[in-house]
Amino acid sequence: MDIPIKPDSQFFDKRFSLKQKQRDMLALSPVTNAVLTVLLGILAILTLIPIYVIVIASLTSEASLVANGYQLWPKEFSGAAYKFLFSQGSIVMTAYKNTIVSTVAGTVLSVLMVGLYAYPLSRDNFKFKGFFTFFAFFTMLFGGGLVAYYMVTRQILQIQNSLWALFLPSAFSPFWVIVMRTFYKSNVPNEIIESARMDGANEWRTLFQIVMPLAIPGLATVALFSAIGIWNNFFNCLLLVDEAKYYSLQFTIYTTLNNIRFLLENADKMQGIVNISELPSQTFRMAMAVVTVGPIVFAYPFFQRYFIRGLTIGALKG
Amino acid sequence: MVLPGAIWLFLFSYLPMPGIVMAFKTYRLVRPPADAFIQNKFIYSLIKSPWVGLDNFRYLTLPTNRDATMTYIRNTVLYNLLFMVVGLVLSVALAVMIFELTNRFLAKLYHSIFFLPFFISWIVVAYVVYALGSSQGIINSIITPMGFTPIEVYKEKAFWPFIFLIANIWKYTGNGSIIYLATITGIDRELYEAAAIDGAGKWKQFTHITLPHLVPVIVLLQILAVGRIFGSDFDMFYTLPNGAALVRDVTQTLDVFVYGMLRSNLPLGYPAAAAFLQSIVGFILILVTNAIVRKTRPEMALF
Repeated sequence: MDIPIKPDSQFFDKRFSLKQKQRDMLALSPVTNAVLTVLLGILAILTLIPIYVIVIASLTSEASLVANGYQLWPKEFSGAAYKFLFSQGSIVMTAYKNTIVSTVAGTVLSVLMVGLYAYPLSRDNFKFKGFFTFFAFFTMLFGGGLVAYYMVTRQILQIQNSLWALFLPSAFSPFWVIVMRTFYKSNVPNEIIESARMDGANEWRTLFQIVMPLAIPGLATVALFSAIGIWNNFFNCLLLVDEAKYYSLQFTIYTTLNNIRFLLENADKMQGIVNISELPSQTFRMAMAVVTVGPIVFAYPFFQRYFIRGLTIGALKG
Repeated sequence: MVLPGAIWLFLFSYLPMPGIVMAFKTYRLVRPPADAFIQNKFIYSLIKSPWVGLDNFRYLTLPTNRDATMTYIRNTVLYNLLFMVVGLVLSVALAVMIFELTNRFLAKLYHSIFFLPFFISWIVVAYVVYALGSSQGIINSIITPMGFTPIEVYKEKAFWPFIFLIANIWKYTGNGSIIYLATITGIDRELYEAAAIDGAGKWKQFTHITLPHLVPVIVLLQILAVGRIFGSDFDMFYTLPNGAALVRDVTQTLDVFVYGMLRSNLPLGYPAAAAFLQSIVGFILILVTNAIVRKTRPEMALF
């Protein structure tokens, strides 16, 4: 299986390079194009609605929310939730710190491990190429299942209740190994590697000084996908962390939503046990969700530069 | 160079594999004696635990549990099939539409927007579902003044297949279309010109040129998807319903079921038996599908 990434097929600009005549012949009729433009425009707006919903909810004043429920355009705006969020240290800040640390560590680790693992597999003179390709590929087809995984990570590796639990299980991916192998193959010419070797560079120097710089778009893609994966990861924390000081951001906001929903729905049964008015406000929770999305959305332009413009996962050939 | 990755694969993928035998044992924790060769509590206990044959599987099919088990298997398989078909059609359609759009700036902008949800976690989506569909939600604040009965998604089963489907489309279509968009870009434009000169319209061009070029990618992705048919997007199925018990029949999948049993006081053999089914059925399905593809179109087989 080959999953090549082509470095320079800039599909958004490509048609400009075609001759005027060709473009006219293949271009859509103006009516079809207009219909398509409007249709996709409507879909794009629909796509943004969920994001709009939580942003607007986080900016609603608590009083308005209690009186009128959630609204598309609230009667009264307020930034109080954000003030509250940034003023108090507590759970959100701890979770933020945990998530940032594990995202950085996990991303660095996965770029290194994937980049290192894939390189020998892309070279024809590596003796155990077949074995190590199979060794990685097989794990995509078969796994021990959740129960065995749970017991192994907790009882043998013993990474539970530590920051390791948040990123180590996501720090490598056989899928990206296969993508990177193809990327090396198609973007790093053999001649360059051979000439570096002739100039006396050893394998490591060749990899770090010649091959990896040429493979930056591929490595950046691995980095960004693994950063998203770890930033948004909920399962590792759910499965392996029991102590609040190691909670990840996603897990923290999930438990908050879960607790509040349960308490509100059972408010009548809980009279006297909890005071609803003392719970973190609803707008505060929506603000938490917004701040969770924030950094990842800021990574988006960077992501686009490398992924959408600069490189494209090309056709998969058998 | 392969060492760090190989160690990771060994620890996180290969080490759990022998653990599937838990499905056929009654796992009991035993402290290894000081002179035992294996000092790890889990490995020692696993070896010492008695074999019980298919007893753990029998628990899943007891008259009291059979309906639940079958419901969760049905949910898992049907949701996966639904997402596979709808996801495929919409991703390809989106890729074609984006590629055909005359205004390149808009094409880029639209695609950026459609791709954005991929960055957003299921937990945030759970917040959106809450803000839209709870008793106080936006949908109610719009429809109640119009005289409709208020809805409450956490209490009404009928909504959930649609919520999952829409959420799945929303999150993955933009990302899924990238690979098709890239493939379409790679197709030689002269093929289309020749077709256009011969009088083929856009639809004919799609079915005769675009689609055949996409088939190898589609087949490959679908083979991998078939292997995951007993698995599921855990985060989505676990967080969106937010533990609402009333809708469990239509929201719980095998993954969530296994997780629930794992975290309960039930013997570990029970979730292990369900997890065993997931691993083995997935593996067999991927082998079978690949074999079929190999027979008919050898060049498209995964291995």
